[in-house]
Amino acid sequence: MHNRVIKWIDQRFPLSSFVKHDLTEYPTPRNLSYWWNFGFLAGFVLILQVATGIFLAMHYKADVTLSFDSIQHIMRDVNYGWLLRFMHATGASAFFLVIYIHMARTLYYGSYRAPRELMWWTGQGLLLMLMATAFMGYLLPWGQMSFWGATVITNLFRATPFIGDQVVVWLRGDYGVGDATLTRFFSLHYLLPFLIIGGVMVHLVALHTVKSSNPSGIDLAAKDNIPFHPYFTSKDFYGLGIFLIVYCIFVFFLPNSLMEPANNIPANPMQTPSHIVPEWYFLPFYAILRSVPNLVGGVVAMGLSVMVFSFMPYLDRSRIPGGARYRPWYRVTFYLFVVDMMVLGYVGYIPPTDQSIVMGKIATFFYFGLFVLLPFISKKEEQWLIRRGLPPEVEALVASEAKEKTRLPHQRRSGDIK
Amino acid sequence: MKNLIFILMLYSISPVWATEAKLENIQVDTSLPTVERGVDGLMNNCHGCHTLKYIKYRDLAKFGIDKKKIDEWRGDQLLDAPLASLMSDEAAMQSFGLVPPDLSLMTKAREGGASYVYSYLLGYYNTPEGVTRNHIFPETKMPDPLGISSATEPAQRDEISKTAHDIVSFLSWAADPHEQERHRLGYYVIGYLVILTLLLYFVKNQIWSRLK
Repeated sequence: MHNRVIKWIDQRFPLSSFVKHDLTEYPTPRNLSYWWNFGFLAGFVLILQVATGIFLAMHYKADVTLSFDSIQHIMRDVNYGWLLRFMHATGASAFFLVIYIHMARTLYYGSYRAPRELMWWTGQGLLLMLMATAFMGYLLPWGQMSFWGATVITNLFRATPFIGDQVVVWLRGDYGVGDATLTRFFSLHYLLPFLIIGGVMVHLVALHTVKSSNPSGIDLAAKDNIPFHPYFTSKDFYGLGIFLIVYCIFVFFLPNSLMEPANNIPANPMQTPSHIVPEWYFLPFYAILRSVPNLVGGVVAMGLSVMVFSFMPYLDRSRIPGGARYRPWYRVTFYLFVVDMMVLGYVGYIPPTDQSIVMGKIATFFYFGLFVLLPFISKKEEQWLIRRGLPPEVEALVASEAKEKTRLPHQRRSGDIK
Repeated sequence: MKNLIFILMLYSISPVWATEAKLENIQVDTSLPTVERGVDGLMNNCHGCHTLKYIKYRDLAKFGIDKKKIDEWRGDQLLDAPLASLMSDEAAMQSFGLVPPDLSLMTKAREGGASYVYSYLLGYYNTPEGVTRNHIFPETKMPDPLGISSATEPAQRDEISKTAHDIVSFLSWAADPHEQERHRLGYYVIGYLVILTLLLYFVKNQIWSRLK
């Protein structure tokens, strides 16, 4: 019976071959570390956000006179409404944390290099959509920080040449952030996650064409690849367990630690909060925005600071395998970048003082400086490493993998460099 | 419109910190007796001007507060009525120049939370000129509600501190009425997850041990 059903479906839809190609026989490098768990986790958080969001939308009202009250209705009267809302609000932070780690892994191990540029660029597109979704979702509770955050950020579009003022009005649907803004943000906040799901599909199709990178940075021959299921399904589920424990500690015990107190005050267009801060995941970019004294310059710098990652496949000119692992100079650059992000995050969080403004400017300069210098650093480092020779175990690995590949060319994974 | 961004930038460069004085860190106690005393304290000292629009008398009854006391407080109002202040917005505007803020979310709506509200309530003092001021929120329009500024006896000050603590405990409960339920459920959920994750770890090891 079972087989007959499968056969019936297979004649009409490639179910068995799909499961085979993408799960039971999908070749995955056996040496992947736990840093390779975060893509799966991002997918999980996406589903979690959509699921909780759909139920929240059943009780939420997008109307400036009702929004704040409807959130309190969810928090107090709806059965387990508090759980839904805290899961969704904490989920937003979790999503960014997971995505940032996912990106950091890509940067550290050089996974953005050929043939995986499209993975990196679709990922970049997904990041932008995620940021837009998070930003619009933050307006929905209609608290003070929601309102003023949206006001400040939509105002940045004044930097558009010639039609700046019109663009701002067009985005808001009004001269100020108001009911028209709230309803359109709600509509788009509901739409974008589904576009993200579409983008994730593209991201995964690209992944299953080029296959996963791995910590050695060398495309491994068939003998070092194992099927995704059951090896990586079991590993991903174990990682998911660890993630859920951390997530639930925040949901059940520290949910308010991720919320701005000012957002528990209903939006008041007549009263500016003393200090407008975005959520933690936007802080480094916000610091870059504020570090440039001129509006247009600040907006361009902030946009560039997010988009600059796209250029990584071209900025990194080294052909040494293994990302930062076998590349001491690149490793130092990577850690300096992480520290710089933290400094920018701190500068974005505190109310500006003379020192913090100077600190922000230096950190912004440093941020772009690292990207600008990377082509030279990577090229010089490559020459230095070739002169000095790679560690013997890397040389041995490269040699053995190369030999394996010439011996068994039909066992190459699709997408491996010829 | 053009001025707005300028004003916003100005604000972002010169913030005014609301709290310059040190807050006294407290632990709130959202057990029934404290919360019940807290509602009592609030009804006597705050309810004249402040509303708690998200708390209904029925919520107090559900939490287990003495039914007789609730009936006393609500008078002829419905059990489903919110804890509305006795003062109209117009009257408040005339007396204070603003409508006193709603207290439902007060302990979550200020940097410092419950400790802020507690320190603020006890932050009143008299200047040598005989003007009453507040350490925590100098621009406040609220007159010293608990009389801490004129209390000199240590016993009296202790009594006022205790009332403030009860009120703040009640406000903490009001801001997050499901907190106890959340914590209780949290222990079960995390306990379950820890066991599940351990099992998943063994499953993973078992499966991976098949590899040479």
